[in-house]
Amino acid sequence: MGCGVSKSNQFKNSGKAIKSAVLIQRWYRQFVARKEMRRRYTWHIFQSIEYSGEQAQIKLYNFLGYLMDNFTPTSNERNLISHIFRENEVCRDAEWERYFCYKNIEVPDIYSGPHLTFPLTVEQAVGLVEAFRNKKQLHSRYILQLLLETWKQLRLLPNINRISTCHSKEITICGDLHGQLEDLLLIFYKNDMPSLEKPYLFNGDFVDRGKDSIEILIILFSFLLVYPSEVYLNRGNHEDHIVNLRYGFTKEVLSKYRMHGKRILKLLQKIFSWLPLASVIDQKVLVLHGGISNTTDLSVLARVDRHNYVSALRPPKKRHQSVAGLSMDSDMDEDAGSTNKVFQRRPSLTFPKALAKDCFQNRSLQDFSDRLRVNTVEEVESHQKNRGLLGSENETSQSCESINSEDEWKQILDLLWSDPMTQDGCVPNEVRGGGCYWGPDVTEDFLNRHNLQLIIRSHECKQEGYEFCHNRKVLTLFSASNYYDVGSNRGAYVKLGPDLVPYLVQYQASSMIRELSVRQSVGRSERSAIKVLREQLFAHKSDLICAFKKLDSENKGRVSLSDWATAVESVLRLGLPWRIMRSQLVTGRSADGSIDYYEWFNELAIKGANADHIDQSLLETLYRHRSTLETIFRIVDTDNSGFITMEDFRQTWKLLSVYLKMEITEDAISDLAVTIDSNQDGSIDIEEFMEAFRLTDKKSRLERGRSMFMGTATDLTKLEGDPNI
Amino acid sequence: MAPKKKEEPKPAAAPAAPKPPEPEIPKTPEFDPTTVTLEFTPEQIEDFRDSFQLFDTTPASEMKIAYAQCGDLIRALGQNPTNTEIMHVLGKPKAEEMQTKMLDFDQFLPMHQHICKSKDCGTYEDFVEGLRVFDKEGNGTVMGAELRHVLATLGEKMKEDEVDQLMQNQEDANGCINYEAFVKYIMAS
Repeated sequence: MGCGVSKSNQFKNSGKAIKSAVLIQRWYRQFVARKEMRRRYTWHIFQSIEYSGEQAQIKLYNFLGYLMDNFTPTSNERNLISHIFRENEVCRDAEWERYFCYKNIEVPDIYSGPHLTFPLTVEQAVGLVEAFRNKKQLHSRYILQLLLETWKQLRLLPNINRISTCHSKEITICGDLHGQLEDLLLIFYKNDMPSLEKPYLFNGDFVDRGKDSIEILIILFSFLLVYPSEVYLNRGNHEDHIVNLRYGFTKEVLSKYRMHGKRILKLLQKIFSWLPLASVIDQKVLVLHGGISNTTDLSVLARVDRHNYVSALRPPKKRHQSVAGLSMDSDMDEDAGSTNKVFQRRPSLTFPKALAKDCFQNRSLQDFSDRLRVNTVEEVESHQKNRGLLGSENETSQSCESINSEDEWKQILDLLWSDPMTQDGCVPNEVRGGGCYWGPDVTEDFLNRHNLQLIIRSHECKQEGYEFCHNRKVLTLFSASNYYDVGSNRGAYVKLGPDLVPYLVQYQASSMIRELSVRQSVGRSERSAIKVLREQLFAHKSDLICAFKKLDSENKGRVSLSDWATAVESVLRLGLPWRIMRSQLVTGRSADGSIDYYEWFNELAIKGANADHIDQSLLETLYRHRSTLETIFRIVDTDNSGFITMEDFRQTWKLLSVYLKMEITEDAISDLAVTIDSNQDGSIDIEEFMEAFRLTDKKSRLERGRSMFMGTATDLTKLEGDPNI
Repeated sequence: MAPKKKEEPKPAAAPAAPKPPEPEIPKTPEFDPTTVTLEFTPEQIEDFRDSFQLFDTTPASEMKIAYAQCGDLIRALGQNPTNTEIMHVLGKPKAEEMQTKMLDFDQFLPMHQHICKSKDCGTYEDFVEGLRVFDKEGNGTVMGAELRHVLATLGEKMKEDEVDQLMQNQEDANGCINYEAFVKYIMAS
C-alpha cells in the first residue's frame, strides 16, 4: 500500500486514487440510473397492457350486462350470453351434490396418473405434488371428488381466518402464483411442504396466466383437506369466473378436461365464492389479496355472506324466503312467468377509465355505465316496493339489507382489487377499473381502528418479489417469478414467527435465470416488452395513420417527433413515455428529426395472417381485440366444446360490432369464416381461428442495445447489446 | 512508515474532487435557481418531461418527484454528477427530507441545467487513467479485490451490494479485471 514510496508520491497517489474512485462511482451511479429508467418503462409497458386488459374485461362485462338489461327477451344476442349471468341453476346444496356426482365417471385402466381415495392422506397430497412435477394429470373423477370435499371444508370456515403463531414456530405466506407450478415447487423445495410444523397461508390469485392453474389448485386444496388447521387460503381477484374467461384459466381447464371441464368450472365457481376473504395473524397482522379503502371495516366483512359474491364484478345474488320457507338463490335470468323475480340487476360499482370521445377503440362503454348508474335510485325504490310481495316478517331487516348490500359489495371489491399509493387519501382505482388507491394516512387510520400493526397483501407484481410501503406498514408480496417475461422479476414468500417480524425469502425459477446478470435480464425484458408494443402499434395501423394525417397538414407523409409521440399516445392510450422509447421503435429518421410514417409501418415488419381477401379494418379489429373476441367466443360456446356454429359465429360478430360501434358486413364475416372452416362442415374451431389471426414478429432491423439518450449525452463508445441467451 | 495524510485538505486534488470529510469551507455559494439560464432546446425539454414522468409515482400524475429521485433522473438523462453536486443543486436538504420533499418539473430544469454546464464529466481517457493508478504491474489489469476495497472506502463510498453488482462477471479466474474493457462496459449501458 505504499511501502517504499516516498511521502509526496504517496500523497499524490492517494489524491489520484480518490479522484479515480469518485469517477468510477459517478459513472456507476449513472449506469444504475439508466438501467432503472429502462426497467421502469419496460415494467410500465407490461403493466399498462395487463391493466388495460383487466379494464377491457370489466368493460366487456358491463357491456354484456347492458345488453341483458336492454334487449328484448327474445333477442338472439341476449340468449347467446344470458347464461353467463345465470347463477348456479341448482337451488339447494343436496341438489348440488347430486349434480356434481362423480361416481358415474369411470377411470380407464390406461390412466397412469395418481389415484385418490378419501379421506385424503398426507402421502396422497405429497404424491400429487410429485405427480405434477412429473407432468401427470389428475383424472376428472378425482378432481370432482376433491372439489366436493374442498367445498364442504370451505363452508365451515369464517370470512376472516384467525391464525395464531403460538402453536408452531412460523407461518409461511405466499403471494400470487398465477398458475406457475414451477414457483410453487420451488417454494416447497426451499421451505418444505405444509405440515403440522409448517403452516402456510396462500394469498389469492392461484390461477390465470400461467399454464398449470388447475394443478396448483389441486395441490392447495389437497393440503387444505389434510391439514385444515395449518393451511389457509385467501381469495384473490382472479378467483372469479368472469376474470378467468379472459385470463386463461377457463381455457386451460376446458382443454385439459374436454369431457368434464365444464362441470369442474361450475363447481369451482362455487368454491371460489366460499374462499375466505382475509386472514388475521395473532390479531396483529392482516393478510388479504388487494388492499383496503377508507371505508374498509373488518367487522362488516366478518358478517357478510361471502358466498353470495360468486364474482366480485357483479352485484350479489339476493337470498329470499320462498313460500316453503327454504332459503333459495334467486336466479337473475327472467324465467318464464316468474313473479318472484325481486332482483333487479344493479349497475356495476366498477368504473373503467374515462376515455376520450373520439378514440376509436374506446367508443364503447362509458355511456353505458353512466346510463346504468342513473337508474340506481329508481331501482332501489322499486326494489323496496317489490319486497311487499314476499313475506312481511323480515321486511325491515331485508330493506336494511338491500341498502347495506351495496356497501358490502364495495367492501369486497375494495378488498380484492385495491392498490396502495404514495399520496395520502383514497381515490377510485381507474386503471384497473375496480377497488381504489389508498394512501398512508388511510393505512394509519385503519391499523389504529382495528388495533393492527401490519398489512400483507399481494395483487401487484414487484421486481424483487416484495416491496414495503407506507412506512413499512404495508408489505406487497408476489410469488410468481418471471411473471412478465423470463428474468423480469423474482418471487418471494414471507415467514412470520411469534415476534411478527417479516422474514423474506426470494427466489427465481429456472436455472437459466441465475446465469443472467442484472443487466442482461433487464435487456431481455426490455426486448420482450418492445416486441409486444410493436404488435400493438401494428394492430392500430389505420387509426395511427389517421392521427398522423391530421397532424401532417401539408400531406408530406412525415411528422415531427413530438407529433409522433402525441399521435401514438392518443391512439394507444397506454400512458407510456414514447419519446424515450423512440430509438427502440423507430429507426428511420431524417436529418431534421421527422419521421416518415408510412415507411415506419414497413419497418415494424409485423407479419399478419395471410388474408388479403379480408377487409383491412376488420383484420385490425381482430388483432386489437383478440382477447375480447376470444372471451366472447368462449361465452358463446355454451357446451364448451371448443367449436361454435356458423350461426353463432355470425351472432358473435354482430355483438362485437355493437360493442365497437363498427359496421361489419355479412360478406366480411363470411370471408372470415371461410378462412378457417377447413373441414367445411359449418363449425368453427375457436383455437384454430385465434391462431390464424395471431401476429408474429419477424426479425426486425431495429438495432438492439443502442443507447437511447441522445442530446446531452456525451458520445459513448457503442458496445454490442446484451448477448442472446 | 509515514503517517497517512488523507485527513489534510487536498490542494493536489482537482477542483471537481469530492469535498473532504470535515465540514467544508463552502467554496461555492448556495445554489440559486433563479440565476440559471435555461439553454435547452424545446425538443430536449420534451424529452426531459417524458423522463420526468417516468419517475413520477404520484397516481394522479402530478408531475412531481421526490428529492431522492432527482439524482437518478439527472443521471438517467446522461449526466454523471457526484452525490455532492446533487445535494448542492437540491439546496442541501436534510436526510429525512429526501423521501418526503417533492419537486416539480419547473424546479427540476434549472438544477439539471446547472449540472449539464459542469465541465468535468470525465472522458474515457480520464477513466482509464484513473484506474491505471491501481494497476500495480502496469499490465492493463487491476485486482478486483483492491478495486472493491477502494470503491467501498474512498470517495463517495459504494455499498457492498452495489460493488458486487458493478463487478458482476468482470473478474477473470485470477480475480483480475482488464480495466479498458471494464470502462467500456460501464460507459455503454
